[in-house]
Amino acid sequence: MNDTVITVENLRKTFAFGFFRRKVEAVRGISFEVRRGEIFGFLGPNGAGKTTTIKMLMGLIFPTSGKCELLGGRVTDLAAKRRLGFLPESPYFYDYLTGRELVDLAGRLFDLPAAVRRRRGDDLLERVGLSKAATIPLRKYSKGMLQRLGLAQALVNDPELVVLDEPMSGLDPIGRKEIRDLIVSLRAEGKTVFFSTHILSDAELICDRCAILVRGQLRDVGPLDQLLSPKLLHTEVVLECNGLKEAKRLAPDEDVDAVLRAALESGVKVVAVQPRYEHLEDLFYREVEAEKRAS
Amino acid sequence: MNRLGAIAYNTFREAMRSKLLYSIVLFACVLILSGLVLGQFVLNEQLRLTRDLGLGGISFFGVALAVFAGVSMVYKEIERKTVYALIPKPLHRWQFVVGKYLGMVLTLAVQMGLMAVVLCIALWLQGGAPDAPLCRAILLLFGQVAVIAAVAILFSTFSTPFLSGLFTVGVFIIGRYSNELHAVILAKLKESPELAKVLLYGSHVLPDLHLFFVSGGTVAGKTVSVNAGDYVNWTYVASASAYGLAYAGCVLALAIWSFSRRDFV
Ligand SMILES: Nc1ncnc2c1ncn2[C@@H]1O[C@H](COP(=O)(O)OP(=O)(O)OP(=O)(O)O)[C@@H](O)[C@H]1O
Ligand SMILES: [Mg+2]
Repeated sequence: MNDTVITVENLRKTFAFGFFRRKVEAVRGISFEVRRGEIFGFLGPNGAGKTTTIKMLMGLIFPTSGKCELLGGRVTDLAAKRRLGFLPESPYFYDYLTGRELVDLAGRLFDLPAAVRRRRGDDLLERVGLSKAATIPLRKYSKGMLQRLGLAQALVNDPELVVLDEPMSGLDPIGRKEIRDLIVSLRAEGKTVFFSTHILSDAELICDRCAILVRGQLRDVGPLDQLLSPKLLHTEVVLECNGLKEAKRLAPDEDVDAVLRAALESGVKVVAVQPRYEHLEDLFYREVEAEKRAS
Repeated sequence: MNRLGAIAYNTFREAMRSKLLYSIVLFACVLILSGLVLGQFVLNEQLRLTRDLGLGGISFFGVALAVFAGVSMVYKEIERKTVYALIPKPLHRWQFVVGKYLGMVLTLAVQMGLMAVVLCIALWLQGGAPDAPLCRAILLLFGQVAVIAAVAILFSTFSTPFLSGLFTVGVFIIGRYSNELHAVILAKLKESPELAKVLLYGSHVLPDLHLFFVSGGTVAGKTVSVNAGDYVNWTYVASASAYGLAYAGCVLALAIWSFSRRDFV
């Protein structure tokens, strides 16, 4: 079995818009691969080109140049599309349908028999926590509910590859955790998950590998722990003396023990000691800063 | 096939849940029934008036509904991003366009069927009855509406509902007066034969809608009326339908071509 499910090679997209056909290079020649069974995070700040890339992968827009492949086929092949589930960014569905009807419509498009559609529909609505809202028309759904429904319709065909554009957007912290758990459970079922986000903490918790996209260019692809050196940035020590609090930042090479010992000996109270390791967020800022300096 | 059906069914369902479309159909029915009241003022001609008013109403509202629903049919799906979830499903883009068209034709058939039933009721209340010529006239009107629906969908694949509406109504009006247009072009034939020839060929690009609304018009040089014995026969209806089908097919092919090369942004 082929174990590359998404191949992107030198992919570019240039939009021309407005009266003067002004050009915007949204994606500037990116290449990466997504392997079977992994959770792949597609990270980048707003406007980086994540949605544009995903739209090319889904056959919604055509690349200016380069190529992309899904499940070993072209993105327009029905054979590939049959094994694919997709959640668009801030999804909008037919608002005159109810939740159950929408999942049923999705099932029809996959040619599923009525009994399977009904069973899977109920299961999926349950799984995303919408059982109670199954018979309410979508125009009465909140943003978070639409997001969950979008996930349900993406999973109706029991896909091998699930592509999610900002699956956590519009959700509260509990909802985000539920979606994270759902993504992890999809991996446990042997599915490959490709999702985009600019919320770094979400990616940090669940991604096997990720790609970082900044202004249409790929800055890095790889397992998170390789993109992130578990580097100690600094240690923050908060001391209290005569009711006054003072925070000190110690460089990585400073001796924290010595500082604490000195503090305790002179009768100063130690309120907090916090080592600060490099987060994905820091890497992110670093990349964006580097990009800004370069231009 | 199932997928085409799923798209068509969903399009039909959307129309059935739209209050606005209901109001238009209801209004049309009221108008057709108003023949009952107006008929009081014309002695002996009551049935004739109801039939003419009914056919006029079905024609006008059929076209209005086709233009109204058709011009936003594809545009709305792209604008509201509902295509984003559909296109990545195992569905060819052409299937989406054809499914939309079929759903729309089904909707129009139901709407026009409803108006036809109301017309029949009006006739029965006046002691008349629908007859074969009336059925043929209604079928022809449906052919016209099916052509207009395809034209509206074509425009909606690349332009806003407002412009599409203008274009479609323009095509309808020119197509409706195709006979007069031909006459004008033929008159020009003497002055500049070359130009007239080009225009004559060019005019075939627009649908010949005169074919579909013949009551009170001329067919092969003779005036025909749905109220007299000389109305067009079934063979005519069949050939006009074949023309309509072929024309709508070509227009849909263009719509598919236009939709298939679009970026959904
Ligand atoms: N239709 C379009 N016409 C012109 N420019 C566009 C178009 N669509 C996207 N862009 C530009 O392409 C760039 C990338 O946009 P994209 O939506 O892919 O970003 P993103 O990474 O998904 O951002 P976000 O996190 O905000 O969703 C942006 O600069 C945007 O302005
Ligand atoms: Mg985006």
